[in-house]
Amino acid sequence: MSSAMQFYVSVILIYLGIDLIACWGLNLQYGVAGVVNLAFIAFQAVGAYTAAILSMGPAQPQGYQTYFIGASLPFPVPIICAVLVGGVLSGLVGLVALRRLRSDLQAIVLLVFSLVATDIATNQVGFLNGSAGLSQIPLPLESLLNLTPLDYQWFYVGFTAVACLLAFWVVRRLTGSPLGRAMRSVRDNEYAAAALGRNVFAMRMRALIVGGMIAAFSGALLVPIVGAWAPSSWLYGETLVLFAALLLGGRGNNLGVALGAVLVPGLFLEGTSFIHYTARPGFIDAVQWIVIGLLMLLVLWFRPQGLLPERPRRVDLAPSLLPPSRWPWLARNRLAERSELAGRPE
Amino acid sequence: MQLFLESIGFGIVTASVLAIAGVGFTIQVGIANMFNLTYGTVMIIAAFVAYGCNAAGVSIWVCLPVAAVTGGVLTALLHRGVFRPFLRRGTSPFAMVIVTVATGFVLQYTLQAIWGSNYYTYRFSRGTTHHLGPLLLTTAQLWIIALAVLLLLAMHLLLSQTKLGKAMRATAADPDLARACGIQTDRIAAVAWTLTGALCGLGGVALVMSTATFDFTTGASFMIVVVAAAVLGGVGRPSGAMVGALIVGLGSEIVAAVLSPDYKDVVAFGLLIVTLLVRPQGLLAGRGAATAGQVEVLGS
Repeated sequence: MSSAMQFYVSVILIYLGIDLIACWGLNLQYGVAGVVNLAFIAFQAVGAYTAAILSMGPAQPQGYQTYFIGASLPFPVPIICAVLVGGVLSGLVGLVALRRLRSDLQAIVLLVFSLVATDIATNQVGFLNGSAGLSQIPLPLESLLNLTPLDYQWFYVGFTAVACLLAFWVVRRLTGSPLGRAMRSVRDNEYAAAALGRNVFAMRMRALIVGGMIAAFSGALLVPIVGAWAPSSWLYGETLVLFAALLLGGRGNNLGVALGAVLVPGLFLEGTSFIHYTARPGFIDAVQWIVIGLLMLLVLWFRPQGLLPERPRRVDLAPSLLPPSRWPWLARNRLAERSELAGRPE
Repeated sequence: MQLFLESIGFGIVTASVLAIAGVGFTIQVGIANMFNLTYGTVMIIAAFVAYGCNAAGVSIWVCLPVAAVTGGVLTALLHRGVFRPFLRRGTSPFAMVIVTVATGFVLQYTLQAIWGSNYYTYRFSRGTTHHLGPLLLTTAQLWIIALAVLLLLAMHLLLSQTKLGKAMRATAADPDLARACGIQTDRIAAVAWTLTGALCGLGGVALVMSTATFDFTTGASFMIVVVAAAVLGGVGRPSGAMVGALIVGLGSEIVAAVLSPDYKDVVAFGLLIVTLLVRPQGLLAGRGAATAGQVEVLGS
């Protein structure tokens, strides 16, 4: 493979890994807990900005970019701080967006939050350098490893892979746990879940915070490899790409979501970048966005459960809990019937 | 002080535009119990159609009915072709948000594919400047305010005085009960969507006339203020949307004049958050409406 091709492949792999992490985070919120976080990309942006300003050092007084704080902390610290800031901000947003609201209004408040966050980051120049954004963000460990640019790319591929495994482990632990079950119960029927003693607000809040931390983590991984980060990198449409991946792959199913992350942002958006078309600038972009929107609508209509649907979870009742039967040989059927009821209707 | 007074004049114009748009939006929430997030984009599509007529040499005031028809037809088609089929399938409210966002996205980028990312401006005479007490307003701005007052009055009379309005309110309050009383709720809903779509189209042209330039994203960002105005007054209440429009419109223009015009949307967002924290049922909601976003009966 030529080195240019290797470079390209490594970048695609890194992006894919980061998309996987982001999709798992969003799946925890939307697929598992039913929080339609239309501001997901804003939390990724928070992670990216935090990791950037904590690794770039203080802003130069005469420099071309201005931002607040500014420090050059050693390698894992900016990422850890990004994750923490993502969690705290998610909590703050959740306090407003998740309280006492119907679920669709919650989604709209989050969407508005995303739009306004873009607005503020664009207009407050001293805050994060306005619409020009941050650039020349250093690569973590670059000076320490002293690798050629290409070798560094492959190092980062490995690093992203490890991060992916970590994210998958966290998400898997959560969704497979009783907490994950409680989140799914809130998603499926919040009133029934509340009647059974589940705190609906707390469940959604946990999903929002953990998902927000994962979002920030993905942003912190993304920003050094892109090297620059501006409000135009995280317009709300990017959240819709992730939603499209979730819907196509199968919301609620971590593996389905991974499939969606490969198909939608990976193949679909990267693949079309090969099309050379000398139309008006922005035309190809517009067509891509139209197709993303149509894809979401078509999936929601024809296959709302996605390509790899969430597997219905059944809880077998202990036979002793069943009422005594006069026909013991029917008990098996009865048990099966109950299990069916315990499974999810969808 | 002069700046402050001027911003009040602007605020009233913005509030008028916002009231036209917000009332339509909130009635849709009332009728269908869903938030139609394509609304802002439909506004701008109507504005683009009006731009097409205007560029062909037709007066912008003549283009207004064209925009109203565009908005009405497009909204009715969206309801018939997209929203209603999904609703009939029992799509959950939060999945409906995704449906409307995705639809709006498709529409918005279709606009970009056709018109590009350029800014457009209407050709019309803004008229002379009038001193109304301390306020300074151009003739065109006065006409926008008059249009808003006329439309809102007509909407109020329609909802409160006519049989159609009564049927719309009944459909919003309880569709099953309304159907049991012999109201053809499907037809009433179709009429309501068309009418609100017309309001949406008119709001789009009024918006562009008041802000001077627009591109394909103008509508999507205007949704922030529309949602803020609707929630502020109590979702599903036309009178609430009017009050919300006045507060958001004045508030954002005053801040724009005093601080910076970049913070208009931030003010709307701030008002939205304060409302959700302090009085999530909206300013005008009655005592019974304890839960946030509980849709009220139209016009009550």
